[in-house]
Amino acid sequence: MNIPLDAAGIKVLKQYSCANQCTWCDGCGDYGIWTAVKRALTELGIAPWQVLLCYDVGCHGNMSDKLLGYRFHGLHGRVIPFAVGAKLANMRVPVLAFGGDGATFSEGVGHLVHALRSNYPLTFILHNNGNYGLTTGQASAVTWQGQPMTASPNGIPEHTLNSMDFIFSLEPTFVARTFSGDIPHMTKVFIEAIKHQAHGFALVDVLQACPTYNHFATHEYLLERCYDVSLGKHDPSHFVKARTLAIDTQKRIACGVLYQRTDIQNFYDRLMPRIGEETTLVQEVGKIDVCRFMKRMV
Amino acid sequence: MNRVSIKITGAQGQGVNSVGEMCAKGLKRAGYCVFGYREYMSIIKGGHSSYQLDISGEQIESAEAQVDILICFNHLGLGKNAHEVKRGGIILHQTPQWSFAASVQKLLDRRHVRVLYLPNEMILKKLEAKPILGNVLITSVVWALLGRKESELQALVREQFGHKGRELLMLNFRCVVEGFAFATSHSDHLTIKLSSSSARWKDHLLVTGSQAMGLGLIHAGCRLYAGYPMTPSSPLLSFIAACQNATGMLVKQAEDEITAAQMMSGAMFMGTRAVTATSGGGFDLMTETVSLNAIIENPSVFIVAQRPGPGTGLPTWTAQGDLLLAATGAHGEFSRIVLAVSDAHDCFSLMPTAFNLAEEWQTPVIVLTDKQLAEALFTQAPFDHKTATIERGRLVVRPAELRKLQSTDRYDPTTPDGVSPRWLPGAEAATFCAQGDEHAADGSVDESAPNARMQMEKRMRKIEAIRKTLPEPELYIVSKDRSVTLSSSKGDTTVGTLIVSWGSNKGVILDAISLLVRSPKSEVRNPAIGYLHYTYLWPLKIERLEKLVKKVKKVVLIEQNYQGQLGMLLKMQCGIDIPHKILKYDGRPFFVDELAEKLSSFIFHLSSP
Repeated sequence: MNIPLDAAGIKVLKQYSCANQCTWCDGCGDYGIWTAVKRALTELGIAPWQVLLCYDVGCHGNMSDKLLGYRFHGLHGRVIPFAVGAKLANMRVPVLAFGGDGATFSEGVGHLVHALRSNYPLTFILHNNGNYGLTTGQASAVTWQGQPMTASPNGIPEHTLNSMDFIFSLEPTFVARTFSGDIPHMTKVFIEAIKHQAHGFALVDVLQACPTYNHFATHEYLLERCYDVSLGKHDPSHFVKARTLAIDTQKRIACGVLYQRTDIQNFYDRLMPRIGEETTLVQEVGKIDVCRFMKRMV
Repeated sequence: MNRVSIKITGAQGQGVNSVGEMCAKGLKRAGYCVFGYREYMSIIKGGHSSYQLDISGEQIESAEAQVDILICFNHLGLGKNAHEVKRGGIILHQTPQWSFAASVQKLLDRRHVRVLYLPNEMILKKLEAKPILGNVLITSVVWALLGRKESELQALVREQFGHKGRELLMLNFRCVVEGFAFATSHSDHLTIKLSSSSARWKDHLLVTGSQAMGLGLIHAGCRLYAGYPMTPSSPLLSFIAACQNATGMLVKQAEDEITAAQMMSGAMFMGTRAVTATSGGGFDLMTETVSLNAIIENPSVFIVAQRPGPGTGLPTWTAQGDLLLAATGAHGEFSRIVLAVSDAHDCFSLMPTAFNLAEEWQTPVIVLTDKQLAEALFTQAPFDHKTATIERGRLVVRPAELRKLQSTDRYDPTTPDGVSPRWLPGAEAATFCAQGDEHAADGSVDESAPNARMQMEKRMRKIEAIRKTLPEPELYIVSKDRSVTLSSSKGDTTVGTLIVSWGSNKGVILDAISLLVRSPKSEVRNPAIGYLHYTYLWPLKIERLEKLVKKVKKVVLIEQNYQGQLGMLLKMQCGIDIPHKILKYDGRPFFVDELAEKLSSFIFHLSSP
């Protein structure tokens, strides 16, 4: 990919630049994700005014004022339902939701379950750094067992959640994995995930380095193990193989679009009252006559 | 006031509601104002539930505690409700070989209450009809007892069951004949006289508060409804969902109340009109989202249908215990608007208002209703389609104006009333961040002290601006000539006793005052009774109250909660303390006879405050 940083025309990365300085730690994976998001949107020809970016609370949420676009930075764990409400109201605007592994697999886990089973037309980027970074390094549901963390000096007594097995158990329509140290790969995966919005809920698990608090799955660790499945013979339409590939991260970590199906309608397209409606809910605001309903009440 | 009441009791699922609804429809069409009141337990089958109809040729919006006719589907009602029958009333039941306890029988004898046993099962067996037809049989006995014509009921039965085939319709007609035959053979003198009817009710609607609210939401241009089932907000969810194929509204039963509140917020942020509704417990879960909407200055509408707490409390009963929650719940300090509906008319007409206020002030609006309103049946004039307007405040949509916008216009802290231009994702304009952290004018995080001060002041400035534009509470004067009028501020001087209240109490208060002013005592003692009704509960308007309390002899606060929460807010706002309070917190609404008696003791026996 070759996106000019500063040139005329719409395909310019700089259109997303803003004056605020980044506040992440040195070596944080968020720098790479931030860059890849801007690149993916630019590559797709989406201007800042055409997109809505919704952020959860956590280190990743500090991206909300480090780029342009219509943005929302809400409550911890609740980004999915807000983004879904926004998307359903105006299906013409691409909506991206961002959340960390802390919020997504604990406080907001119910929303993830229902987003997957509902197949909402939404792109969800999971900043997965294996811990609660912004609150100074507590264990998340995906932190490894035996790993001492801020609020669990003896390691966590709970089982580590097998996040991919959990996600696949909910019959997703798009699951991808990528690595915060590989900006071109992230860009490619984000583009596919944004395109999948037409078909439903696209989940991208971004394995992210946290140099300050994650001393187990480090940048180097991930760099060594991550590989791109699209370079091999992987068939992303094969559910069972994709699930196996996604779960097994012991030796190598499969990245890329692991699973995708486009034969299932997204949530909005399944709504009977919306079939055949050309307008969006945003366009439909206006006084509506209720005489036909009153007739039945006389 | 000439009013008659019928209470139908039975196990849930026995047909109590269908008999009630059929009677209500027939009586309304015959020219009566009907008010329906439901009591039931938090179970689906069994238990003890009731449907009460209060009927008058005049306007009524309340139920009586003592009834004229008691109908008992099973023996439970005979045991529990017999003492609620008025002097000269009738008990109609279908429990064979029933006898009352001696003390109850004595009471019934003293009141000249007549007890009629309807051998329902036997009659249905003779007709070879299923037990469900017992509903029509009972309805027709009631119809005869009220001295109504057989033909009226036949027309209604035809409408209700005509589409289910000729055979069933004929069977229903035979039930009507049997019911009338029973009533006439057992009673030549047993009738309860209805007052004279009035043609003005014929074209009215029979509508529950929830249905009226649903219609109001549709009318207001609400295009997305997100909710989680919780009594007493569930009837609204059901009604809105039942209408969705006709309205095209997106109705979402969410996975929890937090989701519902967030979806509503997201949809409003995108620029449509969306709502969520719940009860107190669900609203507890939503308060973090209320607070979020305040800082991102997002228009948002929350409907809270109150029931008694704390905890699960009394899930299917009524209360006004969540006023302080609505006015103060959620973390941090911010501007909000709290309003309460009082009847079917409000349920409809205040929905566009709620959205208009939310969009004009870019802040959360909380609409309070309660179980009594949500499920009561009102006789309501067809809703007015002309009055409502859609006001979207400082929403910028024109391309030329959008082009002029800068990111820093969105949360510009220098706007005089605290309200900034608002524009929507997807609009070709400068972009901004709806930032949940304290932020600068473009939504960039800014934790500096001067910025924190300016942004807090921007958001809080709204509250005084809102207070200025909200209407004063309405003053209803019930004069000696029995007419109820909405007073302009000039009329305030004629009030002797002032009642202060809010929400669903309005109907029963006006009905109770109407009873009182007809009492001979009122002729000598009182110039007029005024009722000051607060629709807008936060921010509070106090000028009219302040003027009134200086002139009137007595002030009485009426609320359905333990603490007198409106009284607490008023005291906080203007220092006025209302010492005389009529408070009820047992889950039951005020009944008109009960309230009139309580008010009478305040008005006729108390010395001035």
